[in-house]
Amino acid sequence: MSAAAVGDEAWRRRQRARLRREWLLQGALLVVLLALLAGIAQNVAANLEARQIKSGFGFLHDPAGFNIGELLFDYSARDSYLRAFAVGMSNTLRVSIAGIVLASVLGVVVGLMRLSHHGLVAWLGSAWVEVFRNTPLLIQLLTIYLLATELLPDSSAPIAIDAVALLSKQGLQIAVPAEGTTALGVALVVGLLAGGAAFAAARRWLPVGAGLAGVVAGLAGALLAWLAFGTIDGWSRPEVDGFLISGGASLTPEFLALWLGLSLFTSASIAELVRAGALAVPVGQWNAALALGLTRRKAIAGVIFPQALRLAIPPLASQYMNLIKNSSLAVVIGYPDLVSIGNTSINQNGQALEVIVIIMAVYLSLNLVVAVAMGAVNARVTRAPR
Amino acid sequence: MRSKHLTTAAMTLAGLALATAAHAGKTLDAVKARGQVVCGVNTSGPGFSSADSQGKWSGLDVDFCRAVAAAVLKDADKVKYVPLNSQQRFASLQAGEIDVLSRNSTWTLSRDASLGVVFTGINYYDGQGFMVPKKLKIDNVNKLNGATVCVQAGTTSEKNVADYFGAHGMKYKSVVFDTAEAITSAFFAGRCQVYTTDMSDLAGARSKAPKPDDYLVLPQVISKEPLGASVRRGDDEWFEIVRWTQFALLEAEENGLTQANVDQQKSTSKDPGVQRFLGVNEDMGKLLGLDSEWAYRIVKQVGNYGESFERNLGSKSPLNLPRGANNLWTKGGLMYAPPIR
Repeated sequence: MSAAAVGDEAWRRRQRARLRREWLLQGALLVVLLALLAGIAQNVAANLEARQIKSGFGFLHDPAGFNIGELLFDYSARDSYLRAFAVGMSNTLRVSIAGIVLASVLGVVVGLMRLSHHGLVAWLGSAWVEVFRNTPLLIQLLTIYLLATELLPDSSAPIAIDAVALLSKQGLQIAVPAEGTTALGVALVVGLLAGGAAFAAARRWLPVGAGLAGVVAGLAGALLAWLAFGTIDGWSRPEVDGFLISGGASLTPEFLALWLGLSLFTSASIAELVRAGALAVPVGQWNAALALGLTRRKAIAGVIFPQALRLAIPPLASQYMNLIKNSSLAVVIGYPDLVSIGNTSINQNGQALEVIVIIMAVYLSLNLVVAVAMGAVNARVTRAPR
Repeated sequence: MRSKHLTTAAMTLAGLALATAAHAGKTLDAVKARGQVVCGVNTSGPGFSSADSQGKWSGLDVDFCRAVAAAVLKDADKVKYVPLNSQQRFASLQAGEIDVLSRNSTWTLSRDASLGVVFTGINYYDGQGFMVPKKLKIDNVNKLNGATVCVQAGTTSEKNVADYFGAHGMKYKSVVFDTAEAITSAFFAGRCQVYTTDMSDLAGARSKAPKPDDYLVLPQVISKEPLGASVRRGDDEWFEIVRWTQFALLEAEENGLTQANVDQQKSTSKDPGVQRFLGVNEDMGKLLGLDSEWAYRIVKQVGNYGESFERNLGSKSPLNLPRGANNLWTKGGLMYAPPIR
């Protein structure tokens, strides 16, 4: 070896050695991890073999043989397990999406209530948060379900609201346009048009909140179009027919209880995020906005809320994920979500390992979708200059 | 309950992942070393297994666990009861958490052949039926078209009701709960018009109703539900012990041996069959890996099958179910034990 390297050369040499060491360490860790996983997999296979438990995903194409109470698409007991799982997943999705929407709306309202200067309003907001955040979700669900099934009248004598809705132990039945799919299509088109127009107009005339105006106008347009279509084309109204209430669309007590329970529970946490976000905006921003002559409402909408949103969105994503995972509590109140269908399948065919893998994979992918979507929203919100 | 059975499932998973390969023929040794038979029972099945306010278990399935303990450990009280719901039961047995599953479970081909468990016999011939509130004025299953039906998750009932309604071109809506308690409270609250499960369970549920007389169990039976105990596959020695415990209960009744007269019969009976059964002059127990008095202890400590039935399900119980198909073959029933010789 020649004379000792000096200066940059010496630094580069040390750097190379450092990198080499790091690569070696990480490589070793990877090998250990892979060996561990392979060992576990091999051991599982050996144990299944030794206990003579049949395994594999072939069962997915066998007929499931059991009925499911709530369907978004056709399914009968003769269909495959795969289709049964799809039904379970669609039910999980349905209650999760409905829950996320309602929880967000309630959460923002309650969060703003807590910030209010009116004593009673602020107190009501606090009471809401403390009650729903500090009692177990399971107990809330059971309470709501128990109240619904005990207090509502039998389906033979439902509470009728003007032949538009019937409320009973069979759940909530509402009148819908007889041509349901066409009505939804019309509503979608009108909603998009109205929303787009409102958004374009609002961007020109309003300082802030164009997106919100677009969404509100779109929803209102869609609802109006849907109602108009029903009025012109004719309604399918719920009617008591022997055991069942036929006609109309139906929300079961199980769905209602789960939806309400998840929304209330999560809304308390979202309210706290909204409040925390608003309080975290430096007080100087308030002062500056008011000094510029903005009203309190305008200051909130144009200055505080956009900045609060930035802080609130990452934790909001985990609240949404929690809501999706919490929907698996469905099983205690008889709502046929993915876990409930999984439980039934495990017992019909004994493929516990496979079914658990399926359930985990579905929840994982749903939450990854939420993570990606909320990541995109977050990127958009933080891109705006501070 | 949900978290509980998911825990069981997760434990099964972990157990399968971490356990060393299962070995055959070790359950008897493990039970003797532990000094306890770990028996999986129903969380709440009136007449089959239920715990009273002091935590004392009773029922036909519980008596079966006690009989196994009497035969193996010489003391019917050396049983640890593990209450399981219907989804947990087989996973729990597979994972080795229990030695015997005695939890009114239906013996079917698919369970026998694919779950890694094997049924040891039949201790109750049951069938699936329907219960409805009397005020609906329904007296026949074929008038149930369109009804909302409460059913327990992961039971043969769930599948049978789909088969039956499908075959008869009738429609229904199912509401599926994972525990019997959740179903009965929903049913009695009026969420469903119909509750379907095994006839014996219906009788038990009805006895717990706020007003039992408001409910009617329809006479039609739509399926065969032979209920029995099961053990893990691959341990033939233990399988034989559990199976012959059931036969001993039946054999005792057929020979007229009861808890009350077994001591006297043991010393005075001249019947070679009885003498052999009670281990007076022949040791049948050692063939099973037990001692000569295994069957004597079963009768002495638990009683014969008929006594257990009457005590838990029959005339001496609130359920007051008739013996019916569960009578001995000599009395017009289906209960038949191969000879102990």
